[in-house]
Amino acid sequence: MSRAAVGLALLFASRAALAQRVTAIVGPQFALASYREVASGLRYQGSGFGGALSARYRRLSAEASIVRLTLDPANGSAATSGFTATDVNAWVAYDVATYASVEAGFIRRTADPELDAQSVGAVRIGARSFYELGPGATVLFRANYLAAPKFSGGGHAGFSIDLGLGLDVRLAGRMHGTAGYTFQRINRKTNPGGTGEIDAPMQATVARVGLAVGF
Amino acid sequence: MTRRLHVLALLAGLAAPAAGGAQTPVQNATLRRAQQAYDNLEYRQVVSLAQAALRERLTGPERARAYELLGFTYGALDSILKAVDAFKQVVLIDPERQLDPNRVSPKAYSAFDVALRQVLLVRQLRVDSTSFVGGRGAVPIRFTVTQPARVVTRAIGGGGGGSYVIDSGAWNGQVNLSWPARLANGDPVPAGNYTVVVEARLGQNTSSASQPVRVSHGSVDTLQSLTSLPGYQYLPETEVPPQSWRPLGLAFLYTGGALVGTLGLESSSLGSSSKRELAVVGGAALVTGFVMTLRKPAPRPAAANILYNRLLRDQIARRNQDIAKENVARRQQVQVTLVPLPKPSGAGPR
Repeated sequence: MSRAAVGLALLFASRAALAQRVTAIVGPQFALASYREVASGLRYQGSGFGGALSARYRRLSAEASIVRLTLDPANGSAATSGFTATDVNAWVAYDVATYASVEAGFIRRTADPELDAQSVGAVRIGARSFYELGPGATVLFRANYLAAPKFSGGGHAGFSIDLGLGLDVRLAGRMHGTAGYTFQRINRKTNPGGTGEIDAPMQATVARVGLAVGF
Repeated sequence: MTRRLHVLALLAGLAAPAAGGAQTPVQNATLRRAQQAYDNLEYRQVVSLAQAALRERLTGPERARAYELLGFTYGALDSILKAVDAFKQVVLIDPERQLDPNRVSPKAYSAFDVALRQVLLVRQLRVDSTSFVGGRGAVPIRFTVTQPARVVTRAIGGGGGGSYVIDSGAWNGQVNLSWPARLANGDPVPAGNYTVVVEARLGQNTSSASQPVRVSHGSVDTLQSLTSLPGYQYLPETEVPPQSWRPLGLAFLYTGGALVGTLGLESSSLGSSSKRELAVVGGAALVTGFVMTLRKPAPRPAAANILYNRLLRDQIARRNQDIAKENVARRQQVQVTLVPLPKPSGAGPR
């Protein structure tokens, strides 16, 4: 598909969205992240870039983000090399009250090189609370249960949770400032070689800060 | 002294008919002499001169004047029966004749009153000017019948030259009628000039009076649509809440929730995680909350005012619907205006 066709499609989509009172913001983000796996000695820190998109139509809203992180071993880490992670998240939410929504979505984080860290995919089910701090400024807090997680290295997780803090501030006109924080805890258990189940937990925190344009 | 006052009062009473009967100049010389004799209190001469005048050729008003002089003179001479007869002739010639009880002698007035009750007359017919929507009003008609009689009131004329019975009944004394000015099918009577005729019949005696009127048709004024109700005004649908620390408090609450959740869910085997990510986003949230606390709060919808305005709009819309319906009806209605016309000269009661 040519760039012109994509541009036209976006133009028509934006006009159709306006016609139906759909509000949307989209923009790039800078991310900071830390990641721990298996034991306290295996920890990474890094940063990266990505983008986020969110849209709302009446009581229905959707949100998606993608961020590519370069994670290097942190000070004192037992890891010898870093890796690159691509974190994709998506949610669809429905407002059940003025300040609360139920939401569902998925998470997929892949590591490159593949064996340097666990890749994980899971379904998100949870709720979020949001509140307008002032004109054009909204803060949100979310709690998601990560159901049916799949890991590249195998294993399972009985308890996985994802907490989030989000902020959207309209800076001027259509320009928004966005920020998001995610804390993820996955109690992964593996059974390498059939020798018995061992804990291999994963813990990640990601902060994303960026600008966005509203439609 | 008492006798002198009595004479003065009598003179004042007797002077009144001269003033009352001076509507038209008297041409007949005999009648003028009779009038002069009356003014000089020469009653015998008045009787002979007035009777002589009546044998001459007189106009209607002169004839009425001659009988009136006789009536007053007979009254002054205590010939009440003759006075009554004279006054009967007066009211037969001029049924609208009216004496002022404050200006004539009681004897003359009572004789005139007796005369009125002994003659069948329709007098003092009045049709008032009026204007009303066809079918929603009536024309007031008043007249006096001096004896109990069968009275038929009609309106004659109009565009079609028809005759419309307004009322038919037995009446006596003051009569007040209402004429809706409608045809049998409910439509207003056609526009045009009519004559309201009142005919009274008692045995062989009849009397009638008439009043010409003009009926005109016009369109009924329509009502203006309402944009507001008197005494009710729209209220602002937004209100600015008072400034508060709520934004900062909520930012603390949400950031604190994230911090507590992070601390509580950290894995003991993985150790404490980095807090710089939470510090970045939480700090941004707190700064935003602080800024929003300092800013003037955004106007928020005022639910009660919105509800009130909605009720007001509904009420106005409902009223305008009623007005529109009323205007549809009014455009099919006719404004009937009735104006009495001056009586043509020579026309009078029979």
